[in-house]
Amino acid sequence: MGRFFYWKLAADNIRKNIQVYLPYILTCTATVAMYYLMHSLSQNSGLGKMSGGDTVQMMLSFGFVVVGIFSAVFLLYTNSFLIKRRKKEFGLFNVLGMEKKHLARIMMYETIYIAVISISAGLIGGIVLSKAMFLLLLKLLRFEVQMGFEISGSAIVFALLLFGTIFFLTLLSNLRQVHLAKPIELLKGGQVGEREPKAKWLLTLSGLASMGTGYYLALTAESPIAALTLFFVAVILVMIGTYCLFTAGSIALLKLLRKNKSYYYRPNRFTTVSGLMYRMQRNAVGLANICILSTMVLVTLSTTVALFVGVEDVLKTRYPRDIVISSYGITDEYIDNLGATVAQVVENHNLVMQDPMEYRMLSFVGIAQGNEFLTDEPSLNISPSRLKTLCFIPSEDYSGLTGEEVQLAQDEVLLYSQGADYEYESLSVLGRTFSVRKQLNELPAVTEWDISGRHFLIVKDMDVVEEMYHAQADVYGEHGSKLTYHLQFDFPGDVSEEGEIAFYKDLRSSLPSGGVSRYIESREAVKDEFYSLYGGLFFLGLFLGILFIMGTVLIIYYKQITEGYEDKERFAIMQKVGMSREEVKRSIRSQVLTVFFLPLIVATVHISVAFPFITKLLAVFSLRNTLLFATCTGGTVLIFALFYGLVYHRTARVYYRIVSM
Amino acid sequence: MYILEVKNLKKVYTPRFGGNQVQALSSVSFGVEKGEYVAIMGESGSGKTTLLNILAALDTPTAGDVLLNGRNIGSIPQKEIAAFRRDNLGFVFQDFNLLDTFSIRDNIFLPLVLARKPYQEMERRLTPIARKLGIEPILAKYPYEVSGGEKQRTAIARAIITNPQLILADEPTGALDSRATDGLLRLFREINEEGQTILMVTHSTKAASFAQRVLFIKDGEIFHQLYKGDSSEEEMYQKIADTLTMIATGGERRG
Ligand SMILES: Nc1ncnc2c1ncn2[C@@H]1O[C@H](COP(=O)(O)OP(=O)(O)O)[C@@H](O)[C@H]1O
Ligand SMILES: [Mg+2]
Repeated sequence: MGRFFYWKLAADNIRKNIQVYLPYILTCTATVAMYYLMHSLSQNSGLGKMSGGDTVQMMLSFGFVVVGIFSAVFLLYTNSFLIKRRKKEFGLFNVLGMEKKHLARIMMYETIYIAVISISAGLIGGIVLSKAMFLLLLKLLRFEVQMGFEISGSAIVFALLLFGTIFFLTLLSNLRQVHLAKPIELLKGGQVGEREPKAKWLLTLSGLASMGTGYYLALTAESPIAALTLFFVAVILVMIGTYCLFTAGSIALLKLLRKNKSYYYRPNRFTTVSGLMYRMQRNAVGLANICILSTMVLVTLSTTVALFVGVEDVLKTRYPRDIVISSYGITDEYIDNLGATVAQVVENHNLVMQDPMEYRMLSFVGIAQGNEFLTDEPSLNISPSRLKTLCFIPSEDYSGLTGEEVQLAQDEVLLYSQGADYEYESLSVLGRTFSVRKQLNELPAVTEWDISGRHFLIVKDMDVVEEMYHAQADVYGEHGSKLTYHLQFDFPGDVSEEGEIAFYKDLRSSLPSGGVSRYIESREAVKDEFYSLYGGLFFLGLFLGILFIMGTVLIIYYKQITEGYEDKERFAIMQKVGMSREEVKRSIRSQVLTVFFLPLIVATVHISVAFPFITKLLAVFSLRNTLLFATCTGGTVLIFALFYGLVYHRTARVYYRIVSM
Repeated sequence: MYILEVKNLKKVYTPRFGGNQVQALSSVSFGVEKGEYVAIMGESGSGKTTLLNILAALDTPTAGDVLLNGRNIGSIPQKEIAAFRRDNLGFVFQDFNLLDTFSIRDNIFLPLVLARKPYQEMERRLTPIARKLGIEPILAKYPYEVSGGEKQRTAIARAIITNPQLILADEPTGALDSRATDGLLRLFREINEEGQTILMVTHSTKAASFAQRVLFIKDGEIFHQLYKGDSSEEEMYQKIADTLTMIATGGERRG
């Protein structure tokens, strides 16, 4: 045998099995390209120099790690489909007298071919696409477009190492399979007698229970802070539930259907129920994977799209005023001083303050217990929803904000609650009891939402506030709060972005300090940061979304093909026994449709249940436009379903061709 | 009156992508009477499976007719073929053709379910058949859990549960060991003695020696036939073996 015999044989094998190899090679190529793109962008020198660019680069490096891990898991998984298909062929070679070491050689050459083709095509594709991706990213981030073309050496080296290792691992696992198998098993390939699945009631019930609990948690989570802590618990419960119900629940349900004799023994149901049982047994895990992957795609895409589209909304919510100055640990003298400085800087810049608002406040945290707020309990194992911030504001400042005169007695308060209702007539904290004279529906100037609930108490005067200040300082010691002063105002609409930023910079350097810590927030000054943050998230979401979709598509494609070859024989038998072609087709269709669309349907249910939950989470990111988020989610689901339907259409054709061959 | 009549059957396979045509059957004619047990013998590649597939309307002949109870099966519309096959024919194949997704019981029920029979009737029909074939203990099992002989008995049960006019068997003993083969052949004879018409294709002399009549097929034609008459299985076996030797050495044709 010539030196090139095995190389030629390996190439022939790939060509003969092109129907299963082409999608695999394409996917490998695409993952290599995506990995290169992510990695090279995360190292792009131009991006690093831009303001906010480092945040984006950090996200991108997170992204390339995810792509790397996903590629490894995913390519190993799809490779197992391939080897299952090819076992028979190897068995034949083996029976025809080819030794296992020769088989190993052929497999190695095949792997080398595929690795070389897909890694080089992927890298070339990645390099070609990287410029376009870079421009897209800059556009999303609203960065200046800049020229130049970079090829990242380290991204290439890492891609070579990573994918070289992955291909090596696939080769090892294939060799192991062939090495362990006896020729006769190889010949039989995947079709070693499958046992009839047992109904696992316990698993079904625990699946139902954990799915139910997960859903319940998602639907009943109240405050965003509670939602945050419950997020992972609910997600994990629902994931467990999904796996249990796909694997055990589906079989249990089908068994129940089969027990009902008058239901089961009808032509269509007979073949469909038993066929589904068989399919679910071998595919349940794959389908659950597809379901969870789809859910991930949908959540990632809809939230990042919503955040990006809603970034102006977010800015308005998070920064309701053009300028907000907050000072901690104030004195009267400081306040006067600050006022004068701000007025001076405003004048220097030829600006005017619009609608200025100022107030003094003391805020500290208490643990709600009915109408009492405790300050002496260790807060370690307190449910976060009980932690409330109490904010005291003197009535004179309240009058300044609202223009409304109020006369309050020493122990009377006006109360405004944010993020939760307050249902008591009085409120006790630190030995003082206040009676609530009136609940307010709104309180100007404090539109920013805290993630936990807040109670604002308008008290008689600054003396009461100071009394509370000393009381909490005694209890909390060095963790106690300081008295704060807040000044906020807008500029007229015609002030330019640059003008505002210049003002902000100037003000920052001229504010008096005098032992007071102070923070200036300017909406314009943070805008870029928001765009780079949410634009980066969007880019990442889009990128990972596409990667996950690709994964889903490939798994589906291979499932269908594998099944096609196995179903072929089964349907041939049914026709011999007297089933018409039409009946066979109908039965196939209902089985394939069920198996295909079950994950999508379940994913959509997951998303709908998660919707209120995610809405609350987005509120933490200051996105409160529920309609916007609903539109983005609906749109994403729709586009995804369309895409899914298209893939179904394509693979179903291949499937029918195989079955009716 | 023949229950099955085959006239001048011809089958030529034309490869889809060019290549040589294969003439599997050149001109086959014979008849089977009601209640008869006929074996068709021939070497591998002589066209036995092709013939059986045409009789079962699984394949169409290039020329010639097949009449079942006087009805030309070539004239049955494509839509009714499946129902016709289900109602009139029973199949037993070399590789059993059981579905691994169904229990033994459901495999046997399959044609009845397709014919939309009520469940009670299926059970009523199954009971005596399962007893006779000795498969009662394995009804709840799955094909991969039972032996080859049991699989073949299941296939027979599935073939006779519809009370077919004719049972067609293609190498039914091909995958069985000698003990299971004996059992199966005795079963076929019993079923035949109860009035069931059987047409069996085989290349096993032993299997053929159980039949009342043996047709020999060679080069796509019926070459010779033997009647068992009153002779024993051993005598019949000897006659068949002699005939095969004669065919192999290119002897003269006898009527
Ligand atoms: N589908 C087919 N296409 C082409 N040739 C076929 C096909 N099926 C059978 N043949 C050929 O027809 C001849 C008879 O085959 P077959 O009926 O299977 O023989 P037997 O069952 O007696 O072994 C053989 O030469 C075989 O190669
Ligand atoms: Mg044959």
